[in-house]
Amino acid sequence: MLRQRKSMSVLIALMMLLVTILTSCSKANTASENTASPSASGDEGSNESITLRMSVWGAPAEVAAYKFAIKKFEAQFPNVKVDLQHIATDYDTKLTTMVAGNDVPDIAMMESGSIAFPLGEQGKFYNLQEFLDTDPDINVDKLVPNIMYSLEPGNVIGIGPGPESFGLFYNEDIFKDAGISPPPAKVSEAWTWDEFVDVAKQLTIDNKGRNAKDPDFDPKNIKQYGVNASTWWGIYSNFIYSNGGDFISADGKTFGLNQPEAVEAIQKVADLMNVHHVSPSPVQAKNIPATNVALQTKKVAMAIDGQWTTANLAQSKFNFNVGVLPVMKEPVTTVVAGMFSIFKSTKHPQESWELLKALLDPEAAIDMITSGTWMPSYKDWYTDPELIAKWTEGLDSRPSGYKDAIIDVILTKSHQTPTGYVKNFNKIMDVVNPALDKVWLGQQTAQEAMDAIAPKAQAQVKGRRDIPQ
Amino acid sequence: MRISKLRLGAGYTALIIISGMFIIPFLWLIRSSLMDLSQIFTMPPEWIPRPFHWDNFQRALTFLPFDTFFRNTTIIVFSVLIGTVLTSSIAAFGFSRIEWRGRDTVFAILMTSMMLPAAVTIIPSFLGWQKLGFYDSFYPLIVPAYFGGGIFNIFLLRQFYLTIPLDFDEAAYVDGATYFQIYMRIILPLSRSAIIVVALFSFLASWNDFMGPLIYLKSDNLFTLALGLQMFQGTYTAQWDLLMAASAAVVLPCVIVFLLGQRYFLEGITLSGLKG
Amino acid sequence: MRKGLFYGLLFTAPAILGFIIFTLGPMIASLVLSLTDYNVFKDQTSFIGFDNYSRMFSGEDELFYKSLGVTFYFVVLRVPAVIILSFFIALLLNMNVKGRAIFRTIIYLPSIVPAVASAMIWMWLLNPDLGLLNSVLSWLHLPTSNWLYAEGSVIPSVVLTTLWGIGSTVIIFLAGLSGISKQYYEAIDVDGGGWYSKLRHITIPMVSPTIFFNTIMTIIGSFQVFNEAYILTEGGPNNKSLFYVFYLWRTGFRDTEMGYASALAWVLFLIIMFFTYFVFKTSKFWVHYEGGGRT
Repeated sequence: MLRQRKSMSVLIALMMLLVTILTSCSKANTASENTASPSASGDEGSNESITLRMSVWGAPAEVAAYKFAIKKFEAQFPNVKVDLQHIATDYDTKLTTMVAGNDVPDIAMMESGSIAFPLGEQGKFYNLQEFLDTDPDINVDKLVPNIMYSLEPGNVIGIGPGPESFGLFYNEDIFKDAGISPPPAKVSEAWTWDEFVDVAKQLTIDNKGRNAKDPDFDPKNIKQYGVNASTWWGIYSNFIYSNGGDFISADGKTFGLNQPEAVEAIQKVADLMNVHHVSPSPVQAKNIPATNVALQTKKVAMAIDGQWTTANLAQSKFNFNVGVLPVMKEPVTTVVAGMFSIFKSTKHPQESWELLKALLDPEAAIDMITSGTWMPSYKDWYTDPELIAKWTEGLDSRPSGYKDAIIDVILTKSHQTPTGYVKNFNKIMDVVNPALDKVWLGQQTAQEAMDAIAPKAQAQVKGRRDIPQ
Repeated sequence: MRISKLRLGAGYTALIIISGMFIIPFLWLIRSSLMDLSQIFTMPPEWIPRPFHWDNFQRALTFLPFDTFFRNTTIIVFSVLIGTVLTSSIAAFGFSRIEWRGRDTVFAILMTSMMLPAAVTIIPSFLGWQKLGFYDSFYPLIVPAYFGGGIFNIFLLRQFYLTIPLDFDEAAYVDGATYFQIYMRIILPLSRSAIIVVALFSFLASWNDFMGPLIYLKSDNLFTLALGLQMFQGTYTAQWDLLMAASAAVVLPCVIVFLLGQRYFLEGITLSGLKG
Repeated sequence: MRKGLFYGLLFTAPAILGFIIFTLGPMIASLVLSLTDYNVFKDQTSFIGFDNYSRMFSGEDELFYKSLGVTFYFVVLRVPAVIILSFFIALLLNMNVKGRAIFRTIIYLPSIVPAVASAMIWMWLLNPDLGLLNSVLSWLHLPTSNWLYAEGSVIPSVVLTTLWGIGSTVIIFLAGLSGISKQYYEAIDVDGGGWYSKLRHITIPMVSPTIFFNTIMTIIGSFQVFNEAYILTEGGPNNKSLFYVFYLWRTGFRDTEMGYASALAWVLFLIIMFFTYFVFKTSKFWVHYEGGGRT
């Protein structure tokens, strides 16, 4: 019996030893890391070196661009080191655990549709308005509209590194071969919805080569779709706004998607799929790849997508171009953008603000901008011809239609993303999306579907962020 | 056991059909890893890359510090493997071959650890490890393996131990063997198949674990392969060709481990010889 | 079997300690949080009694019942499908056929292909227009389906995709089958019994401990289905694949209502515990242990 106890304790001791040895390898690394990044005291102005932590998501190319901007920033502020934390997926889950553990970064990229506002509502972010009011270099007027996110008027929780608007991207060769004139780039010449549908019909080809105008056209075997309009709210919001509708009424009190303007816009987008058969249904869309591949492989002739897609298009070697979105009543584009926010817990708010400014500076983020992923955040980059040339001329990512179709629209015809001003947006959409599934599949009209859920959606309406309470 | 030719033929046919269906995801991964972006998404799908993009692998594996990721993963995986096999096989012995008051109640309580969705325990667990000062280290990923290695494995081994006739233990007790000797000399050798299954599962689970490293690691010099793979995916955009190549490269060691490992539970041990 | 509280506790000590140190704390924490309005981002958390639970059962939260129904449907379809299919495949793989090492590896392959890669496969296999399954069905002149994209067929389709991942279950069955002595079968041969009586009287009783294990684990796993909704369906169409844990995760992390999510989790905990207990209780009628007949 004694022997048995002894052998057990030997075994347990061995196990413990093993764990210690194996894990000590890992600890050695962190130890050296930790000494290099002490959380320096808040001594302002001294030359003591400080480290700012920043978390971002993004594809590898975007991360490379952040690193470039950071390097420029570090050169300018030699006493500041930036520790970039790249959280590629499940960003919100990770950030939530970091918040729970009081281990948040100083500055973080945030998304208006997820946890940015919930964090802001609990006072976790600095009000950037205070910095904007006193900063000698930038102020609100210098920034492009709709890239600031406010909890309520005057309380800015985040500023986007640049706006992202929508355009009608297309494969030039398809239009050339079909002898059809491509989508106009100038807003003044924009297609009406009917003109757009007509062209899309001509470019939707079945596997026998017949287009959607042919009476024998076979919608079950489509080889090339005229257009790809996905069922993401980001896409159809453009047309709701263009038609004068909104997700929520101007006073923030009433659910808006069952109003005639919004219903008509949604119905028209759904009709692209189910009536005209010129755009893949949600089912068929599962096999339509990203816009750059879809256009290059001629799966679709045109695609309604965000301007960020130009980054990928630039790397696909084919003749693509961009036109302005078709217009229902008014030409409008939704502007979506990520944002940078500064956590209240930072010990270095001023340095964080400088870093945020550095990330906003088009000059520093020039690689992200010329690659096509971002657009500049400063207004003068849209008005000063010299500056415009910097990011639009001689670049693969900026085709000839880009200036008219994307740039000119941003300053005057843009609308903020609904996630930026509709309170409780996700909960409202949890009610709306299942109903829209039926509309996209052609099982219900937009009016029926939206009327059916209007009371439930109304129960989730909590007001707007862009009007005083 | 004799098998009639007819049944063997039918068995073969069924196996080939089933294997044909089960190999599709893997073939898909391999062929995608050798294609350029546009061919990956061609519909209906093509199966032969034109041309073969072997450079995908080189680009994918040099894009991120995969040597560091590989080293970290190896440290974690083997630490977990050893801990799991050691402690789960011992614990299972205590839950099946020794009778003690409250044993089945204790076992039932341990079973409950699998029944609460992890989504609500992630944060409390994280806070616990952080309090102990082990955030951003391998400890949270490794240490639990040395404390039972998870009830799944204990339960699995318990089920196998229970199939071994008690006469063996009794005979050994009569000869003056201790519990530990019975565990080492009778139970372990007779449960070789199950132990290898546990080793295999623990290898694969920790090799592919993504949530654990995501939550508990912060410095990128500690990142694992599974975490590295996500970086190609991004939140909104994926670099599919590189993602597929890197995935294939990460999956390959698993396939090899499995091919080698399955040999050991292929041939079952016969109890007959011992039973006499 | 010898009695021995001391040795029993000694051998199980690592597991018991591990449970107390690593698991019990977080479990109790979430139980307590389920009685609060815990929001990770909020500095103040207040105790609200059973409000979270009454919110669930009062009918105020329609999605609670909806996701529970969806999940039950999934469990009812999936558990028998997984057990029967994997047992059948394990029997095939246990035959003395050439190349079974390769066959075994192939059956396990889908379990190790990363989810993002295999998600693309399901999109293609189950595509109503171009997918392999519908092509085969229409070639056989059978009716086709909209699979993941129709309200009626989404759950069966998700079950179908999960069947590719039964590799582990098959392997556990194989390990169980490998422990059966050939002598038992030879006895049946002597008595002149066929394959059915071998299956009925030898194979099934002998692997019943493994069947028991796999059934319990499949039940526990199926109730907690998450990835398929997260990657494949996002709960659609029309919430018809809004699995319970997916809804719970969305509530806790996206909507930051972690207190309510904890309450949701504990209700599922009780449901899973009930079914596990139930199967454990039935086991004495059908699970056969060489080593003493106890569960």
